[in-house]
Amino acid sequence: MTVAVRAAPGSSASLWQARRRSLKTIARYAAAVAITVIFLFPVFWIFMMAFKTPDEIFSRPPVWLPADFNLDTFKALVRDGDLGAIWTSLITAGVSTIFAMFFGTIAAYSLARFKTGGRNLAIGILSQRMIPPIVIVFPVFLAYVFLGWIDTFHGLIILYTAFNLPYVIWMMRGYIEDIPIELEHSALVDGWSRWQVLLRVVFPMARAGLFATTVFTFIFAWNDYIFALVLTRTEVVTFPVQVTSWFGQQFVFWARIGAMSMMGTLPIFFAVIVFQRYMVRGISLGAVKG
Amino acid sequence: MSVPRATAAVSEQWVGGPFGDSRFKYFLIAPALFIMLSIALFPLINLLVVSFQGISIIAENKSFHGILNYQRLAGDSRMWKSLLHTVGLLLVALPIELIFGMAMALLFVDKMRGRQIFVALLVLPMVIAPIVAGATWRLMFDNQFGPINQIIGWFAGRDVTIVWLADSSFVWPAILATEVWHSTPFMFIILLAGLAGVDRSQIESAQIDGASAARIFFKIILPAIRPVLAVAILIRALDLFRIFDIIWALTRGGPGTVTETISTFTFVKAFEQFDTSFAAAVAITVVLILTAVTIYALRRIEIAR
Amino acid sequence: MKFRLGLGSVVVTLLLSAAGPPALAQNAADTAVEAAKKFSGTTLNLLWQAGLQANDPLVFSGPLFEELTGVKINVVEVPLTEMFSKILIEHRARTGSFDVMPATPAWLPDLIEAGALEPLDDFVDQFGYREEFADIAPVYRVMGEYKGQIYAFQDDGDVLINYYRKDLFADESNKSEFKAKFGYDLAPPTTWEQFSQISQFFTEKFAPDLYGSARINAPGLVHYVFQERFRNDGGKFFDADAMKAQINDDVGVATLQAMIDEHRFMPPGVEAWGPIEVLSAWMAGDLAMMGWWPPPGRWSAGYGTEVEALAWLPKSTVAGKVGYALPPGGAPELAAGFVLGVSSSSKNKELAYLFIQWMNSKDISLQRTMLPFALRDPFRTSHFRSDEYKALWPAAPEYLETLEAAANAGLADLSIRSTAAYEDALTRAISAAFGGTGVKEALDTAAGEWDALTKQIGLETQKSSYLEWASKSNAYPR
Repeated sequence: MTVAVRAAPGSSASLWQARRRSLKTIARYAAAVAITVIFLFPVFWIFMMAFKTPDEIFSRPPVWLPADFNLDTFKALVRDGDLGAIWTSLITAGVSTIFAMFFGTIAAYSLARFKTGGRNLAIGILSQRMIPPIVIVFPVFLAYVFLGWIDTFHGLIILYTAFNLPYVIWMMRGYIEDIPIELEHSALVDGWSRWQVLLRVVFPMARAGLFATTVFTFIFAWNDYIFALVLTRTEVVTFPVQVTSWFGQQFVFWARIGAMSMMGTLPIFFAVIVFQRYMVRGISLGAVKG
Repeated sequence: MSVPRATAAVSEQWVGGPFGDSRFKYFLIAPALFIMLSIALFPLINLLVVSFQGISIIAENKSFHGILNYQRLAGDSRMWKSLLHTVGLLLVALPIELIFGMAMALLFVDKMRGRQIFVALLVLPMVIAPIVAGATWRLMFDNQFGPINQIIGWFAGRDVTIVWLADSSFVWPAILATEVWHSTPFMFIILLAGLAGVDRSQIESAQIDGASAARIFFKIILPAIRPVLAVAILIRALDLFRIFDIIWALTRGGPGTVTETISTFTFVKAFEQFDTSFAAAVAITVVLILTAVTIYALRRIEIAR
Repeated sequence: MKFRLGLGSVVVTLLLSAAGPPALAQNAADTAVEAAKKFSGTTLNLLWQAGLQANDPLVFSGPLFEELTGVKINVVEVPLTEMFSKILIEHRARTGSFDVMPATPAWLPDLIEAGALEPLDDFVDQFGYREEFADIAPVYRVMGEYKGQIYAFQDDGDVLINYYRKDLFADESNKSEFKAKFGYDLAPPTTWEQFSQISQFFTEKFAPDLYGSARINAPGLVHYVFQERFRNDGGKFFDADAMKAQINDDVGVATLQAMIDEHRFMPPGVEAWGPIEVLSAWMAGDLAMMGWWPPPGRWSAGYGTEVEALAWLPKSTVAGKVGYALPPGGAPELAAGFVLGVSSSSKNKELAYLFIQWMNSKDISLQRTMLPFALRDPFRTSHFRSDEYKALWPAAPEYLETLEAAANAGLADLSIRSTAAYEDALTRAISAAFGGTGVKEALDTAAGEWDALTKQIGLETQKSSYLEWASKSNAYPR
């Protein structure tokens, strides 16, 4: 609390306190930087692939920084239309996330507050997340051939929505259970409709959880490979399918993989920065009461 | 523990009270159930049916084979070993991810300059396509071209020549490092969001009372985020159980079958060898085991509550 | 785009050949083009291996065929590792979404028995392809035949040959030191013992700047090396009566043990190396010998490596120093390789056939194997003897000679029912032994798994498929 320090600059106690505080701050930053460096090192290694020459990738001892940072690979990605895969993934993952978040959150509210279907329904919902995706790819493929949904946007969007719902429902149920129930109760007593309570009390209160859940719902859909591989051909090529096509048995286009990974992480990186303020602090109980 | 108990009391009152038997609750859950069932029900039923048939690469035999596939898997030591590996990895990786994630969440929950950037950067490992992540770690673990032996060498003060991915005694640590790197951000973000919802006034009054940091953490913070924590552990456990991409990219289950997990085993059987009915039986067995364990775990959590 | 340069010259070649006297019998390429013209406006769907290989239909043959016939070629790229599954999944759902299907010979018994591939004999006769088909080198020609019928055309001359550094082998001090140490002349090895000793010699003299050799040890590929050496030393995969697996016999154990022992003379970490690591070390001049497929023969000579599609390739520091030889034992593995077939659920079988006949024909396949960036390797007798090809770089005649010799002596990969499962068991045994398990124990496990697989598939079913494969001239050394 800087205020306190300013109020009594002369006292030795507060000086000691201030020093302690600033030491603590320094320690916090040191820890934050150390963790970030460790976690980002592999990301750095991937990104550098975009610039490294093949000789630099396979060099003894390893080369950390490429000699030349040219943008040729990025230009090639643009020219060959490979960046379209990022757009495709943003659409399929983005739209499915919106659906999954909305339907999943209201379902979670139902489970959290009304105990709908008891424990069995909740576990039943979760069991979908226990199946290795690989074994249901083929039946899903058969159904999609029948429906004519192969190689379509809506096919993937509906699939990702369905397969992310258990995650959203369970996660949001947890966050909603964290919210003290008294607020909703008193709002209902005050004559608010149930939808009003849901949209104007529950959603804002749970927004930190909504944000965190949204991030991973999006990432799960974004990272799917096996469904996208089997259920699409040429019209809907998602990011992982595109990137994977650069891994051959006898060769790897590391430059493209690095450049594409860089381009692909950018939108998500900025989205997390922008929307993070929703997570900074959910409205605390005290604030609402006050 | 006061907060959850109060919640339970009010919610009982609510459910039984004037708002109890509302059709609203079904209305809320119906769309989600409809979407899930329409997409997932057919594959599930198909899986169950196929597990009793004889479909393989040799023949599309759709006649009823009884429990033949289940008998086969019961005697398949490779499958049970892979199950064991999966459970082992889960038991080691989950606590590590939980502790790291919690420590990071506590570090970043208070305001600090540049936090947005830090948090966004720490999400990046999960945004890298899993196959790219795996392939990159493969390069980094390379004995000669990779930086990992190099960095360890700096600390050790001599050349380190560990063949991480081909040596049975080093391959698990390599997989563990990759997995912890890739998934700790999940725990971190989920818990950060949980912590953000904790009532500050309680913490502050406890601080004024002179409670220790550990006491505040265990008596106030932990109970308050308990539902989120439980779900995060549950979800992460189930996802760890399905771990595939990282292991496939790093080792393909090798050397031998040392790092084979239930998902890589199923992948080999279902996708590479088209042992379709057998793989279906494996999947059904896994789902049954997991459901039983999950029900048991949830009971325990509720009793503990 | 640099890609297009090659295209122009091919079009010119074709125009020249079309301008010849019309009285001469048409070649297979022209016949196919003529017959395909009536399908002008149709779209043909190709499944193709993702990455470099796809440049062939995407940049070269696809556009050219469209120009000649008006048939549009749509390429769906799938990584090799998922291709077999994709083919079978699409086949079982009878989607008919792919007309032309590439495959590796090892998949053929399964694909053919599942009815996924169309027999081609009638088309071959109808469109006069017998003569040019017979020009495919014998070991490759029989790859696409199954129980007396043609199901696919071999379209790629994949074979593992031994590359060596001429400069190091010709160096006087190396020669004399080697002779003093081992008592015979330094030359490309003809036995695995020599191979090991030569590796040892170079490694002991030059490491860590240079190592004797390196091997592709990646899962999914290392079994090719074992298959080759095991058979060269007289091993047989099964005994033909009881179909009992024999990979764990004395030959098998000795083979695997030798492979492990050789690691001492290879770069540290080679246990985990794949094709790229080996190739990079080779191009950087860090290896005296290497076993690899044909493309590095062109690349390390610097042929065509300036094209953008090969930007991922390490720059060659060994141009002009590369010698080509058959691997020790003399019967090289025809590892993987590609055949072209027609999907049985295609709605345009005749057109699909005409396209692969055109692709596979003498004229066009020569152009395709000369593309620097598409990884198609010479597979026809006429390719090996092509003056045009021989003129590509100084050592090209030697290169083609070695490839022809390899093609004459080559060994097909084990190709039976459910080959993938057998390969998987073998691969795990090899990697387990690399990881510290006893060689005998690892191979016993694999042999046990092979027997269990055979039992599960049905002894008679598997036996007939094995005998079909073993009856071919390229199954065991001749």
